[in-house]
Parts: sequence; C-alpha cells; structure tokens
Amino acid sequence: MNWLQSNLQHVGELTALHLLQSIIPVIIGTIIAVPIARFAMGRRRDGRSTERTTSAGKLRRGLVINSAALLYTIPSLALFVLMPLVLGTSITSLLNVYVALTLYVIAMMVRSAVDAFDSVSPVTLEAATAMGYRTTRRFWAVELPLAVPVMIAGLRVALVSNISMVSVGAVIGIQSLGTLFTDGLRRDLPAEIITGIVATVLLALVLDRLLALLGSFLTRWRTA
Amino acid sequence: MSVLNNAIEFKSVFKTYGDNTVVDNLNLSIPEGKITVFVGPSGCGKTTSLRMINRMVEYTSGTILVNGEDNTARPAHELRRSMGYVLQQAGLMPHRTIVDNISTVPRLNGVSARQAKSQALELLNTVGLDESFAKRYPSQLSGGQAQRVGVARALASESSILLMDEPFSAVDPVVRADLQKELLRLQSTLGRTIIFVTHDMDEAILLGDYVAVFARGGRIAQFGTPEEILREPADDFVASFVGRDRGMRRLTFASGADVPIHPLDAQQTPWQQWQLNVEDGRPAGWRIDDRVIPGGSLFVAGGTLRDALDSVLSSPSGWGVVVNEQGQVLGLLKSDDVLEATERERLNRYGVSA
Ligand SMILES: Nc1ncnc2c1ncn2[C@@H]1O[C@H](COP(=O)(O)OP(=O)(O)OP(=O)(O)O)[C@@H](O)[C@H]1O
Ligand SMILES: [Mg+2]
Repeated sequence: MNWLQSNLQHVGELTALHLLQSIIPVIIGTIIAVPIARFAMGRRRDGRSTERTTSAGKLRRGLVINSAALLYTIPSLALFVLMPLVLGTSITSLLNVYVALTLYVIAMMVRSAVDAFDSVSPVTLEAATAMGYRTTRRFWAVELPLAVPVMIAGLRVALVSNISMVSVGAVIGIQSLGTLFTDGLRRDLPAEIITGIVATVLLALVLDRLLALLGSFLTRWRTA
Repeated sequence: MSVLNNAIEFKSVFKTYGDNTVVDNLNLSIPEGKITVFVGPSGCGKTTSLRMINRMVEYTSGTILVNGEDNTARPAHELRRSMGYVLQQAGLMPHRTIVDNISTVPRLNGVSARQAKSQALELLNTVGLDESFAKRYPSQLSGGQAQRVGVARALASESSILLMDEPFSAVDPVVRADLQKELLRLQSTLGRTIIFVTHDMDEAILLGDYVAVFARGGRIAQFGTPEEILREPADDFVASFVGRDRGMRRLTFASGADVPIHPLDAQQTPWQQWQLNVEDGRPAGWRIDDRVIPGGSLFVAGGTLRDALDSVLSSPSGWGVVVNEQGQVLGLLKSDDVLEATERERLNRYGVSA
C-alpha cells in the first residue's frame, strides 16, 4: 500500500498509456474489419432467394476467414519485435503496439463481424428490399444496426484480450501497466506487481462494462 | 367483365432457373380495384409470379405491364416503393418501433418524419390496433398483430396495388379468420388492386373477386370468379384441386337468409330435453339433465347457407343457434329446414323447377 501511495502519479500515467494502447487498436481494427467482413459475405441472398450463394462467394469467404485466423496465431511478442523491422520505427515506439494490436483486432473482429452479418435474418433484408431500399442504404439502415448485437459480443472479447496483450509490450520496453510487472520483478517489489495485476483487471472490468452498456443502448429493441 | 381496367398484365412471361421452367408462358390480366387470388399446389410458381410484378424476381422473357407501363421502365426500387408487399412472416424491421416500421416507404419517398408519423398512427387504427402499439418493437407483438402492422406498412405506400404472399398462413385459424374479415372490410372502403397468394382454397373463395388456379409449371389452369370455378372446373386438375368439400364450398355462395328461424322453445318436445342456456342474451351452451354442454358454431343472421348447415351439424342438440351481429340470440335453426334450403339452392343453380 505504501508503494502505491508514493507512486500514485506514476501508476496513473501508466494506466492512461495502457488505456490508449488498448482502445485505439480496437477502434481502428474494427473500422477496418467490418468492411472486410462485409466484403467476404458478398451479395446477400434474399429470404425466398432469388440468387443462390455462388461457389466463388464461398471461396472468398473461406479465404478471408482463414487468413484472419492465421494472423491471430502469430505470437504477440514476435509481432511486437517484428514491427520495427517492417515499419522502420524504434523498438520502443508506441506505434509498434498500435499496429500490432490493430492486426490482432482485425483478426478477431473479421470473424465475429462475419457471424454478425450472418445473424441478420434474410427475411428482414428481403422485406427491406421489397419496400424499396437500395443496397447501400439497406446496409446502413438495416443490416448494420441488426448486426450490432453479435458484433458487440466480439468487440468485448477483443477489448479484454487487448488489455492483457498490451502488457506484453513492457517486455521490450514499451510503457504500460505491464511495466509494473517487469519493473516489480526486477526490483523484487511484490507490491508493484500486485498493483499492476489489480489495475489491469480493474481496467478490463470497467471497459467491458462500459462496452456492454453501449451495446444494450444500441440494441434497446431486443430487450424492450 | 371486360369493362374493368387491368392494373397488371402478364404477357407471355417465362421464368427459368437453369433448365427448370418455373413459369411457362404466363398470360394473365388482373383487374383494377379487385382482389385476385393466386391459388394452386405447392411449388407451382405462385410466389415467383407474384414477385415478378415488383421485380423481386426478374423474369426471363415476356412483358409485365403495371398500370399500362412496362415494369422494367423505371428502376426496381422505385417500382417497389410504388406498391405494397406483405410477406408471410411479417418481415418487420426488429430495430424499429411500430410507427417507424409503418413509415418506412413514405420516409424512403422523402415524406417528412412528422407527416409520416401522423399517417402511420392513422393506419394503425385502420388495421385495428390502438395507438399504444406505436412505440413498441416488433418483438413485443403476437403473430396476428405483427401481420396487421405488415398490412399497415403496405398500405402506407399509398399505392393502388398490394401484393400479399400467404400473409395469414402463419397465424392460428381464429386469428386468420379475423384478419380475413378485416381485409375484406378494408377493401370495401379502399378498393385497391390486391393480388393474394394462398394454397388454401377456402381462403381463395372467401377473399377472391377472381381466382387464378395455377397448375405446375406456372400454367394458369383456370381464371374466373370463385363461383365459376366451383361450378364449372375447366379440367380434371382444377376439379381435383377444388375437389374435396366442393359441395360444401358451393353453399358459401348461397344465402341462408330464407331458412326459417324458430323461437327458443321450438325444440322442446316431451322426448327431447335439450335447453339453450342464455346469459345476458348470449348463448352459453346447451343444458341436459343438469349437465351443460358447450354449444356449436353460431349462425349470424344473414350468413351463408354453409354457415347455417355448420351451425346445425355442430350443435349438440341438433338445432342451430341464430345470433345477430352483436351475438344476441335470435332463435333456432332446424336441420330439416336447412337441408330443404340446400335442395332449393341445387335446383336453382341448374335452373330446374322442383
Ligand atoms: N432461386 C431459385 N432457384 C431455383 N429454383 C427456384 C428458385 N426459387 C424458386 N424455385 C423453384 O421454382 C418453383 C416455383 O416456386 P414458387 O416459390 O414460385 O412456388 P409457390 O407456388 O409459391 O409454392 P408454395 O405454395 O410452396 O409457396 C419451385 O419448384 C421452386 O423450387
Ligand atoms: Mg409461395
């Protein structure tokens, strides 16, 4: 406790850094993943189907989903170390974390966005078309809002796993709450390590809760 | 019959999926302001034919005229906004309130939110739902209510044409009968051109001003009024499709008005102890030896001969119960009288005197 009191400001700064490194990749990654997922779905088949899914469509979809899965299997530490080589940044640059974690979020969110679009009832889409919606407007007004519930579920997983992965950056010297683990280990300060763990868990809990709230706000129609 | 204008005309329309011809040279004129029912066995191309009208399905060759204009003359989305479409599962937008659902097409057409909303509230009343439904979401409605909203949404397009694909087949029989009655009531004031798909012959007879009987391959086996089709089926296919219950169905076109109504005590004889229970003027089952047995179907005065016969056949006492529109008991029907009336109807139909 004494340790925490005398280092409150330091912990605050690290929390802010940690927050930044976990949220920014989630936002950017999602913005990139959703169009990729939608593209992978191809033309949506209507309920009483006019068009059947083509084999080319299936191939494209499989390709996108599998590459995303593959991307996810690269160890995070390897990715952090690899980034400077690819991006030409210094090894402790925050940019490394942003880019690496964005890739992970893309890998996770492509899959759950595909599931999310899949969850939208073809009958509803068909009805929208029959009412006179054109494809683009139908996407924004009907398809995307209806995909939100499943997408939020994926987003929560992505955010929480991001928060834990940000800590890994500390091993190569990028500042975050993870720094409390590495520093605490080196200086043999259990209080610092415990603070790091508790702060990370709290951060994850709070953000997850906020996201869940946002989700239920966006999907009032489900529980209403 | 030829004085009627045609709202929709199919001219040599074909639809093929690969080698499979689903609609084979369809020629059909659909009169304006009437209900035309497409009826036929499953898979015979009714839905396909209906959906070719608003181009939810594009036909392979031929022409479809809508109000005299080729339906490919303007963009598909404009064509669709110009006609209402009611699907089997209401197909409401789950994330929109009921008013917003009803306002969909007017909003797409650029009507102001305010105006669309007040129109939607009116339509809610038109289809028999009160305004407390306005702010609800579709998940909070029963199947029958959702289907009413579906009809309201289709009416909001203010088009003269309404396409309905088995709209009432997913609700229970009681609700279905309600919705059917409601549709006829609406149509008597709105006078729209309605194309209604069903595979229920009774529904076709009840609702249709005209019935198109489809045979496999999207061929029209017969087109005419329900009465014509029941009286003179064009071929064996139509006869067998109309077949079962044909005699009963024909009674739908005969009035039960001239069947005499007997007073309530008419059925009391020394050897028959049935007594009609009446509560607040309404029938409440039959009593015999201190037991009360629920009554049969009621004959609403002025109904069809089919209703009259059913009330007699379903009554535990063998006497049909006649009520007025408000459900108040008027009297009893005797089975002999009803049978006699069917006899008169039969002789009448063939212009033979007894
Ligand atoms: N997209 C499609 N691809 C291939 N065949 C199709 C397609 N859509 C419909 N069909 C076929 O066209 C035929 C007619 O279908 P349609 O849906 O018009 O029948 P229907 O008369 O409405 O039947 P039901 O009473 O069962 O609704 C069926 O044999 C069906 O299998
Ligand atoms: Mg059908």
